[in-house]
Parts: sequence; structure tokens; C-alpha cells
Amino acid sequence: MISGPGALVLRWLEDVDGRSAVPLYEQIASRLKAAIGGGVLSAGDPLPSVRVLAGELRINPATVVQAYRLLEADGFAEMRQGAGSFVRQPAGDQRQRARDGQARKLVRGLLAEAARAGLTRKDLNRAWNDIMEDPSA
Amino acid sequence: MTTAVRFDAVNFRPGKGFAIEGLSLSVPEGSIYGFLGPNGAGKTTTIRLMLGLERPAAGRIEVLGSVMPGAATAALARIGYVPERPHLHPFLTVRQSIEFHAAFHPRFDRRWAAELQDEFGLPPNQLLNRLSKGEMGKLLMLQALAQRPDLLVLDEPTDGLDPVVRRDLLSALVAYVADHGATVFISSHLVHELERLCDWVGLMDGGRLVSEMPMAHLKDGVKRLRLAGPVEALANPPFSVLSRAGVGDAGGAVWVVDGWAADCGGWIAERGVRLEAVDDLDLEDGFVERLRARRAAR
Repeated sequence: MISGPGALVLRWLEDVDGRSAVPLYEQIASRLKAAIGGGVLSAGDPLPSVRVLAGELRINPATVVQAYRLLEADGFAEMRQGAGSFVRQPAGDQRQRARDGQARKLVRGLLAEAARAGLTRKDLNRAWNDIMEDPSA
Repeated sequence: MTTAVRFDAVNFRPGKGFAIEGLSLSVPEGSIYGFLGPNGAGKTTTIRLMLGLERPAAGRIEVLGSVMPGAATAALARIGYVPERPHLHPFLTVRQSIEFHAAFHPRFDRRWAAELQDEFGLPPNQLLNRLSKGEMGKLLMLQALAQRPDLLVLDEPTDGLDPVVRRDLLSALVAYVADHGATVFISSHLVHELERLCDWVGLMDGGRLVSEMPMAHLKDGVKRLRLAGPVEALANPPFSVLSRAGVGDAGGAVWVVDGWAADCGGWIAERGVRLEAVDDLDLEDGFVERLRARRAAR
């Protein structure tokens, strides 16, 4: 239905999780930040309009607006009056911060899940080392 | 906060047995309000009251500033309605049905209706009694959206439809809201569908409103706790307990609570109980737990 950077954004966001306790707008913003930080999206790329993104993901338009506002506040996007929202490449350290944030979130999720399964830090370390040595382990 | 729909202490008895009692609810303007409840909870009856199709025995109903059912005509011109069961004339064609509907609605957007008809793949010359269930669902949504309402009242609009059709319907609905900022009141028992869409939730059971709150609050405040130790020491907690179940012989328990906040953990620890886990509940779990708590209290 849509192509170019917009289609890329959609693929990046397809599986946002309405059941998660992390608000949807935060999920959307942090994924887009990681995509921008990782160079998947570059400065000047248009972000999908609120109408298109909300329609495709079947989420509340207000949620998309909230996500874009958060991106803008953190320097990852700019809204141009009447033209839509565009990617901004933030300063290098900010980019690294976005990647750090994303990585930390992954690890935190892993730790929480491990705790539920009764696994200790030691179990995890051993698994980490094994897999780093031999990814098929 | 402006409200698009307000019920104050409404009573209504549509027949023997079932009754709406003391129903108060308020739908903020511009919200997408999910109206949840099991079959037979009173969702459709509430909607009929909202549209002025029934007269309450007591209480007051105000919709878009008009008191119902007295001023129903003024309000209905601004309401798009998708009923639970199709109500369109079976011997009209798709095109005729759209034309007929458009004639009643001065703001009807014929261009968008034509676009949607294309997008939905609705055959213009097909008789309505020959439409599939999915096509009928699309036609109903198309007509309700294209009249450019300020309030959309959707009664189980996707019930019994396949996932592709549901997707198309909800996408069109969301696009309309993005463009026009309308209020949406959508009833469903398909909880997951509403989870991403709604910013307000009302929960009905047995003709009463169990709770009404912003979606974010529902997701923040309702938790499942896993506790170990002397849980009987946890009297008068700073949160409300929706349900409790014992686990094992060692005094462990699983509680579902509402009104959880970060400092509640400290309160539990002070009483010698170990808090082993705080799990988030999704909308479906929260819905089931609240129903269970309400039914247990009766």
C-alpha cells in the first residue's frame, strides 16, 4: 500500500504489542529511534502520516501523534507544518544513547524473564559465554 | 473535559428479567471508547438507549449535547451507527443503498464513499441480500463513515467477520478518526481487537457498569502478585484485591490487585511477606479478573 522509507517504518513497527505494559507510543518511538540510530532511516526520510500509520497498525491516531512528539522532543524527527514529519539525524552521542537504551531494554526483559523461570545470573552468564563461543550451542 | 455521551443513573427494563440499573457512564469527546462485556451484559440495550430508540425509566441520557430521546433528531444527524444486525433493505443494490443513505445526511462524502467502495471491493450492482457477511459489514461501516459523523456508535462491528475484513474495517475507522477527530463508541467482546485502539474502556456485566477508566490506567494499575509468606498479615492494603488464590502449602498466594503503585512493594515487605513477582495484565486478563471479582462479591 505504501512504499519507500514509509514501508520500511511499517515493517519495523508491525509487531508493536498492545498487550505489553510499555505504552504503545513508547514502543513506537523507541523502535524508530533504534532504526534511526542504526542508520536504517536517514535524515530527511519522511515518516508515514498519522493517518497512514494509525490505519495500518490499527491503533489510536492519538498514539501516533504522541510517539512523533516524543521523537521530536528527543531530536529524532521534525514536524513541518502541513508537510508531515521527517527523520532528523541526532548528534552522535544521542544516537549512541538510543542504541544503549534499546540494548538495556532487551537485557532488562531477559533478566525479568529469567527471574520468572528461576534462573540465576550465573546460569545466564554461562549460556551467554557458550553461545558467544559457538552460536549453535 | 467535554463529554460526547453521558448517562446518569439510568434504569431501564427491556423485558422480563434483565434490567439496566443505575447505569452512569461518560465518554470523553475525541476518545475511542471500548465498551466491553460478555454476551447478554446489556451492551446493545445501552446503545439503543444512547440512540434514543428506547426511553429510560429513570435517569438522564445526554448525547452530543442533546437529551435523549427527546432531542434524538438533532443528535442522530451527527451519529454514525453500525448495528449488530444489518438493517438495510435487502432488495437495494450496493449503489442504491449508498445513495439512499446519502440522501438523509447532508454532510455525506460521496467521493470518499466511492473510494471506500473500491477499496473494500464492493460490487456496486449487487443486491444486498446477495452480499456475504463480510461485504455487508463493510457496507455498513462505509455508510456510517461517509456521513461524516461527530460520533460513531459501533455495535460489535467485526463480530463473525474474518481477520482480513476486520483489518480493513478498523483501518478505515482509524483513518476517519485521524482526519476528523470524531468520538468512537465501540462495543465488542473481542477484547484483543480493542486493546491497541481504545484510550477508554467501560466494562459491563449483568446490566451494570463494572468499571470505566482510561486504558493506560487499566494497564498501569492492575497487577498479578506472587506472594510468599504469611499473607494473612496483609490486612487493609493500600490497593484493592480483585481476587486471591493460594498456591502450595507454604503459604504462597497469587493475588490480582487494582490500584498498584511502586511503593506498595515496601508495604508488603514491612509485613514479612515476600513479593516474588509483579506481573502486568493485558486487557483480556484485567477484564476477566474484574468480572470474576464482581461476580464473587454478589
